[in-house]
Amino acid sequence: MSAPLLQVEQIEVVYKRVITAVQGVTLAVPQGQIVALLGTNGAGKSTTLRAISGFLGLDDAVVTEGSITFDGAALQNRPPHEIAGRGVVLVPEREKVFPNLTVAENLAAPVARGTKARDRRPHEEHIYHFFPRLAELRDRTGGLLSGGERQMLAIASALMCRPKLLLIDELSLGLAPVVAGDLVRRLCAIRDELGIAILLVEQSAAVALEIADYAYVMENGRIVLDGDRERLKGHKDVQEFYLGKGSAEGGARRSYRDIKQYRRSRRWYG
Amino acid sequence: MQLLINIVVLASIYALIACGYVLIYRVSRVLNLAHGELMMFGAYLVLACSSLFAGHPVMALCAAVILSIVTGALVYIFLMRKMTGEMVLAAILTTVALGILVRGVVVLVWSSQQQYPAQALGISNPTFTLPGDGHISLWSLVLVLTNLAAYGALFGFLRFGRWGMRMRAAGQNPLLAAQRGINLHGVYALAWSLSTLTGALAGILMALDSGVTGSMPVIALKAFPAALVGGLDSLGGALIGALIVAGAEVLLIYYVDPLLSDVVPFLVLVAMLFVRPWGLFGTREELDRV
Repeated sequence: MSAPLLQVEQIEVVYKRVITAVQGVTLAVPQGQIVALLGTNGAGKSTTLRAISGFLGLDDAVVTEGSITFDGAALQNRPPHEIAGRGVVLVPEREKVFPNLTVAENLAAPVARGTKARDRRPHEEHIYHFFPRLAELRDRTGGLLSGGERQMLAIASALMCRPKLLLIDELSLGLAPVVAGDLVRRLCAIRDELGIAILLVEQSAAVALEIADYAYVMENGRIVLDGDRERLKGHKDVQEFYLGKGSAEGGARRSYRDIKQYRRSRRWYG
Repeated sequence: MQLLINIVVLASIYALIACGYVLIYRVSRVLNLAHGELMMFGAYLVLACSSLFAGHPVMALCAAVILSIVTGALVYIFLMRKMTGEMVLAAILTTVALGILVRGVVVLVWSSQQQYPAQALGISNPTFTLPGDGHISLWSLVLVLTNLAAYGALFGFLRFGRWGMRMRAAGQNPLLAAQRGINLHGVYALAWSLSTLTGALAGILMALDSGVTGSMPVIALKAFPAALVGGLDSLGGALIGALIVAGAEVLLIYYVDPLLSDVVPFLVLVAMLFVRPWGLFGTREELDRV
């Protein structure tokens, strides 16, 4: 098997020189696949994503150990616009669109490195075809869009940068399940048509496991579990803690002892 | 009629200066308190160029304009670039220091006496008589037209130009802009260049009209209320604000007392702050940031 598109190797991220948020995280995103990073609040998912997209410097955080390799080039601690230029583009969790720019302008502003001006328009039309709703709203200001439309616009404007790898922070946050499900299916279509890889950070395992080819579960700044979709879907702990299904034994709530057992059974990396 | 012309000319001066404040504030939330000094520097650049290109006034003017654009970019690259990401207040204080520095350099190189770049270039400043018995000097007229052209160009650029769009984007959300591949340093340097360009144009045309002294930055200080009255983040606001401030100033000078001239813009500003502290066209949320 050839080297994956993105390889994160044993990274450690430290905030303000003292707070270690992420430790020994290793993950890989192969070409053309959707990989999910699951975990609860504060597990270190967003920090990992920021480390990849170069957003750390602004929060006074640095990748102190390990390496992030994308397409053969080292990404750790590079400025965000350079990383975007290499083809790694982030859809952030909050403030994901320019509120005073119209939908069309939101799509016109991104820089697509290595793209000629005349290739922009067909690409724009191509992206509108993934999100027909946005085409209707071309002249609407970004700040007036609904949550779902905003997420669509955020993904669309990220696609304008012609990414090879799309990073999405909390796709389903604040969206109705129907809307999130719809978006997830569109992402699948986008992946298939544009041939890009997607790293999806999600709290909602149900949404992520619907499309992810492979998934990692993070807890307390480490990866505790990984596997392909079927393995994770079938995994007892994932069912219990992330999919909210009752345990196999008659659906009774688990006792504290069982949870302790879960803690022992999970796998520690690094 | 003369009164009207005076108002339009003064408003154009204020507006042309004020748009420089607005440009930089809009993209980086920094108040450029060295704007007046950079404007004056532009005027003195004409003096320098007039001796360099003796006998070619057009070339000298073009050279001065280009040099002022370069000055703006250099100011960003060597001074303000290090301040991006730092506290806005620190950046503002840096501009204050820059202003003092530029003023010092100007006095050192060109002395603080009044000088006339128009004479040095060998061009005259005829006065036209307009219908209704109003008079306007050639360079004032050019200034009014330049101002209109500058605003037209800026509006077009910010609305339809791709880099103009990127400037607006960077002003709204620099983080997201960087993630969308927009080089923030490039955008900021562009804003500084454009701002210095418009300021220098105002300085140069004023100097051609009535000469230049070391106290020219005071005019920019009076243009600052114009930008604030319009709302610091609004280009259209700056135009209207300039008109209001200039109108008030000219009328009060004419009907009340010429000595009021330096105070009027600030009186207007104080009145505005009472009624609508975020300015006529500014966004309310901006208040938290100032």
